[in-house]
Amino acid sequence: MVARRRKRAARHPEDCIPSPLGYAAIPIKFSEKQQASHYLYVRAHDARQGTKSTWPQKRTLFVLNVPPYCTEESLSRLLSSCGLVQSVELQEKPDLAESPKESRSKFFHPKPVPGFQVAYVVFQKPSGVSAALALKGPLLVSTESHPVKSGIHKWISDYADSVPDPEALRVEVDTFMEAYDQKIAEEEAKAKEEEGVPDEEGWVKVTRRGRRPVLPRTEAASLRVLERERRKRTRKELLNFYAWQHRESKMEHLAQLRKKFEEDKQRIELLRAQRKFRPY
Amino acid sequence: MGPAPAGEQLRGATGEPEVMELALEGTGKEGKKASSRKRTLAQPPAKGLLQPVKLSRAELYKEPTNEELNCLRETEILFHSSLLRLQVEELLKEVRLSEKKKDRIDAFLREVNQRVVRVSSVSETELTDQAWLPAGVRVPLHQVPYAVKGCFRFLPPAQVTVVGSYLLGTCIRPDINVDVALTMPREILQDKDGLNQRYFRKRALYLAHLAHHLAQDPLFGSVCFSYTNGCHLKPSLLLRPRGKDERLVTVRLHPCPPPDFFRPCRLLPTKNNVRSAWYRGQSPAGDGSPEPPTPHYNTWIMQDTVLESHSQLLSTIVGSAQGMKDGRALLKVRLRQRELDKGQGGFTGFIVSRLGVFLVCTRKIHTTMSGYQVLRSVLQFLGEATRWGKARGPGLCQEPALADFHQAFSVVFLDSSGRLNLCADVTASTYHQVQHEARLSMMLLDSRADDGFQLLLMTPKPMIRAFDHVLHLRPLSRLQAACHRLKLWPELQDNGGDYVSAALGPLTTILEQGLGTRLNLLAHSRPPVPEVSWAGSRVPRDTKDIPFLQLDSGTLTLGLLLRPEGLTSVLELGPEADQPEAAKFRQFWGSRSELRRFQDGAIREAVVWEAASMSQKRLIPHQVVTHLLALHADIPETCVHYVGGPLDALIQGLKETSSTGEEALAVAVRCYDDLSRLLWGLEGLPLTVSAVQGAHPVLRYTEVFPPTPVHPASSFYEPLRERSSLLPRLDKPCPAYVEPMTVVCHLEGSGQWPQDAEAVQRVRAAFQLRLAELLTQQHGLQCRATATHTDVLKDGFVFRIRVAYQREPQILKEVQSPEGMISLRDTPASLCLERDTKQLPLLTSALHGLQQQHPAFSGVARLAKRWVRAQLLGEGFTDESLDLVAAALFLHPEPFTPPSSPQVGFLRFLFLVSTFDWKNNPLIVNLNNELTVEEQVEIRSGFLAARAQLPVMVIVTPQDRKNSVWTQDGPSAQILQQLVVLAAKALPMLEKQLMDPQGPGDIRTVFRPPLDIYDVLIRLSPRHIPRHRQAVDSPAASFCRGLLSQPGPSSLMPVLGYDPPQLYLTQLREAFGDLALFFYDQHGGEVIGVLWKPTSFQPQPFKASSTKGCMVMSRGGELVMVPNVEAILEDFAVLGEGLVQTVEARSERWTV
Repeated sequence: MVARRRKRAARHPEDCIPSPLGYAAIPIKFSEKQQASHYLYVRAHDARQGTKSTWPQKRTLFVLNVPPYCTEESLSRLLSSCGLVQSVELQEKPDLAESPKESRSKFFHPKPVPGFQVAYVVFQKPSGVSAALALKGPLLVSTESHPVKSGIHKWISDYADSVPDPEALRVEVDTFMEAYDQKIAEEEAKAKEEEGVPDEEGWVKVTRRGRRPVLPRTEAASLRVLERERRKRTRKELLNFYAWQHRESKMEHLAQLRKKFEEDKQRIELLRAQRKFRPY
Repeated sequence: MGPAPAGEQLRGATGEPEVMELALEGTGKEGKKASSRKRTLAQPPAKGLLQPVKLSRAELYKEPTNEELNCLRETEILFHSSLLRLQVEELLKEVRLSEKKKDRIDAFLREVNQRVVRVSSVSETELTDQAWLPAGVRVPLHQVPYAVKGCFRFLPPAQVTVVGSYLLGTCIRPDINVDVALTMPREILQDKDGLNQRYFRKRALYLAHLAHHLAQDPLFGSVCFSYTNGCHLKPSLLLRPRGKDERLVTVRLHPCPPPDFFRPCRLLPTKNNVRSAWYRGQSPAGDGSPEPPTPHYNTWIMQDTVLESHSQLLSTIVGSAQGMKDGRALLKVRLRQRELDKGQGGFTGFIVSRLGVFLVCTRKIHTTMSGYQVLRSVLQFLGEATRWGKARGPGLCQEPALADFHQAFSVVFLDSSGRLNLCADVTASTYHQVQHEARLSMMLLDSRADDGFQLLLMTPKPMIRAFDHVLHLRPLSRLQAACHRLKLWPELQDNGGDYVSAALGPLTTILEQGLGTRLNLLAHSRPPVPEVSWAGSRVPRDTKDIPFLQLDSGTLTLGLLLRPEGLTSVLELGPEADQPEAAKFRQFWGSRSELRRFQDGAIREAVVWEAASMSQKRLIPHQVVTHLLALHADIPETCVHYVGGPLDALIQGLKETSSTGEEALAVAVRCYDDLSRLLWGLEGLPLTVSAVQGAHPVLRYTEVFPPTPVHPASSFYEPLRERSSLLPRLDKPCPAYVEPMTVVCHLEGSGQWPQDAEAVQRVRAAFQLRLAELLTQQHGLQCRATATHTDVLKDGFVFRIRVAYQREPQILKEVQSPEGMISLRDTPASLCLERDTKQLPLLTSALHGLQQQHPAFSGVARLAKRWVRAQLLGEGFTDESLDLVAAALFLHPEPFTPPSSPQVGFLRFLFLVSTFDWKNNPLIVNLNNELTVEEQVEIRSGFLAARAQLPVMVIVTPQDRKNSVWTQDGPSAQILQQLVVLAAKALPMLEKQLMDPQGPGDIRTVFRPPLDIYDVLIRLSPRHIPRHRQAVDSPAASFCRGLLSQPGPSSLMPVLGYDPPQLYLTQLREAFGDLALFFYDQHGGEVIGVLWKPTSFQPQPFKASSTKGCMVMSRGGELVMVPNVEAILEDFAVLGEGLVQTVEARSERWTV
């Protein structure tokens, strides 16, 4: 390891960190204490022609390889030296569209454990992006003034957060169900209104709520019908009645035996290869 | 920075490359992708993997030939199935002697013959004067008493004949023995040679002289003595050719008297041929008491006289019948696998051959039968207790003589002359064992479902794996004292001083009587027959080399097959005190017998053993055996080494030493029963509870360490009053680990449920909240509700109640096609939900039922899981899959019986894991016997067709016939392979330890994982390992975990499921799962093993989607991505701050 470090130091002076085409590399470390650093690979976000991207052009910085201990807040703090940061979004994979902003319930969708992520950082001004591209590291995620919890600290605080507040949960459930009930009621009212009313071409939609119940349009139901039909048909058929049928069923039996025999032979071959026939 | 050749590491970890081939290719998850499937189809079939057979239509439906039809018909009539027929043929091919070898053996035999008849004669001397023997040559006999009247001279044999199995063509590989009878010339023998071992002395001298001459011949690679069937009076000379043929053949020379030399009437079992006056050196007793008969001694002489005639008889009756030959070869293989044919008093191939002849004579077998049918008929005959109860004699014997034979021997099987008992040396327990095995084999052959061939003929049954408990008696010289204590002098005289044989019968009888209802079968090891090499330095006269004396340093091993029903009682009920049998009972049990008054008013003799827990009750046989042996045979406890529960220590709880946790589990289950009753009776829920089902390992008795009631000490925690919970504190060690036990709660059906997945979740959450409220209100239980479950604290146990809605998986599955057709498609979420709320409770209740049938199930399953986890592989296997493998040992024990002790169950677990062909077979666990034979066949064929889509390890249960849900997410092929390799290594090691009569040594050796295969070791600080005390090597001191022994004032919810190592591992896997594998023992492991994935170290071109933890560097002018190892190693420490002590990179394992 030591030898390797020396070699690399000789090859690359500190100021030239290799980075892929179009990206700039910024070293990032958890704190002062660490020796080696990870590298953020950053690029100005630009969507190709024809693809839709909700991130603002020019003002968005695309960041790869964000270490797991780096949160949105700390990333925003680290990049604020380049210009005012409007928003930071951490994602599992690069994704052109902005994720739906609707707040996901923390009760029903607990936050996943983070791994290495990608980030989209939106600055207020385009100058922020260019400043970030020129940034020389190393960035420190956790400093004395802004400590980031990890290890035991993090787990204990996570545990404390995970102890739920039943009242909040109740409130959330109630509001959701109210909205849901309302939605259902509206849909029902609409369906009732349209019941039996022909559309412009004169078709009437048949629904479950009609006067006569109809077969539900599910796969299981249609399979059931088919099965019933098939059974009806087989009941009428005669088995081994004609001479040719008899002959054929015999032949079928023989074919089965042959097939079985081939399978067995294969099995034996395999066992022989594994030397399974040596009782010693 | 270079890639780590982790491929080599894995190989290094898994042993020989040959084993590595077994790793699955083309199966597993990759196979699911359409593209790769196409590729595998195009390729030739992967090696060692069965493929579904594809025959063209023309081939399948062509006109059958006559030959083919005959062959098919024969298979149907003579064999079980075509597979069995092929298997039997293969096996016979393997064990049969090839013609080429036969020729070589014949040539060797001719050489031997020439040399034997040319040995020079010696002039006549007194028997006691053995000075004529050259220096260094000793007589291979224990000559006590030494003084015998008579003269000896050596003359070349009158006749040299090959007898036995070689002649009949039924000898089987690997060790081929050719028996050669040397007829001693009549001039050597005198009248009355049958008396006082004179014949045996002459026989031994004859051999000694012969050996001396043959040893100088360069033809022979080795010349040594052995003892015919272990009988120490009858040495035989073993000759092996020199050079490359040394292993090919062993020629055994047996001297025998000229025909008609001994008068048969003098050798009947009632006659005495060893005079007490001579044997004990006393003057003849004047009181005229009759001399004791010497049946065994007589039989041994008789055996020599009939060697040739028996050989002739066999060849005339069954000589040419191929089926008989095959059948006998199969039977010999079977006896060999069961270790029944070896040693003194074994059930030899010769007896089996004679049995075959007998069955032909009585028309049970016809000579046209196939080998398989012969095998079946013989087994059937052996198994039928009533007819072959104690005796069997072909028609020729006279009735009065038969009674004499029964008097003298425990097993009687007379030859056609009616004078020789062929089973004279076979003890009653050996015979019972043979019978037991025959019955098991018949059951196996009749069951038709499994691979009977493999289990019947190819699976070895060593004693330690076949019997529940095993005990060693050592040193054997104690048995001499036992003989005197049991007053066995006539037997000693009969056996020529062999006290092991003399004492064996009476000892086993005593033990069988004492163990009574606890015992199913008692078997003893047969003393092995030694081979004494002919080297001048080692003289056979040394007591070491005589069979029974040689065992002075050796041991006698007894195996006990226990009866689980009998094990539950601690009482041995005797007769009522005033009955005459009471005295007998008192005498049998000695001081342990007490008068006791029972509830029904009876006053009886009884013996009560001390045992509180299940594990102690299992070890009552130990108490019985030591007590009886000390009382009746004068064998002190120090000489009895009982192997029954050394492995129990590994599943014992933290503080207790007397129980293996069955009781603690039962307490938890009772508490669960109470809770379910409360749930049933709950008032005020919108829908009533319709079913409560357990879904946690505790509730099926398979949790390795049963939960104990928790009483948290409040000072140790940070209280969170408003939510009535406790939180861990930073300045204290990690609190005790409390795992909530999952309980699934079904509600009655209702049409009011919403039909939308999100809404169903909300309604369920509302139920969880309501449940918590009601339980608190109505029963005062501490509850905590979340969106998916409600945690309930009851009597110190924490239960996690999950409300389930039956239709929810279906709602999750519903997919609407563009035409508006609603179809059901499995989604990950629906499968997961179905597994948790439907299949898991079913499995739990089925295994709970299994535990009621087989009390040892809990111990076996827990030991097995303990071992897998201790090998750091626990996370590759789901809890349920390991439970099912353990259940298979009970439901499909063939060729054994269901285990009754954790020890034997664990050994069989290791055996099953290491030998099962996971690639080509599903493990069918027929819970509740729900699968019929036809269904099993169907499952097997379906398995073959769908192999590529199925996981590496496939376990089929009646509830889960296709998907193998418990192994869907692992293990991977590599992990399974690693487990197989480890099990194959652990099994012989553990068996050796347990069979070591000196004591097993450190039984935890096989539980310690090999750490040298890992690339990085992360050492954890014990302060934050909550289950530190559960480690295999339990630490002498650990940290206080904030528990009180008594219920404290605080009734807040304890810290649940807080296990820092597990949280740490989750983070590691999420962040570095693409680069490395992490291994950890959840039961108090102090180290995490990290293995780099071989593929991740290959330099990759830069891709925006896969930069996780990598860095870009230029190599050869190109920019490539490689893992940033140094930073990653530091990340290991950062992510586990406080928990991680050191990160030990073994950089020598990967190239830099």
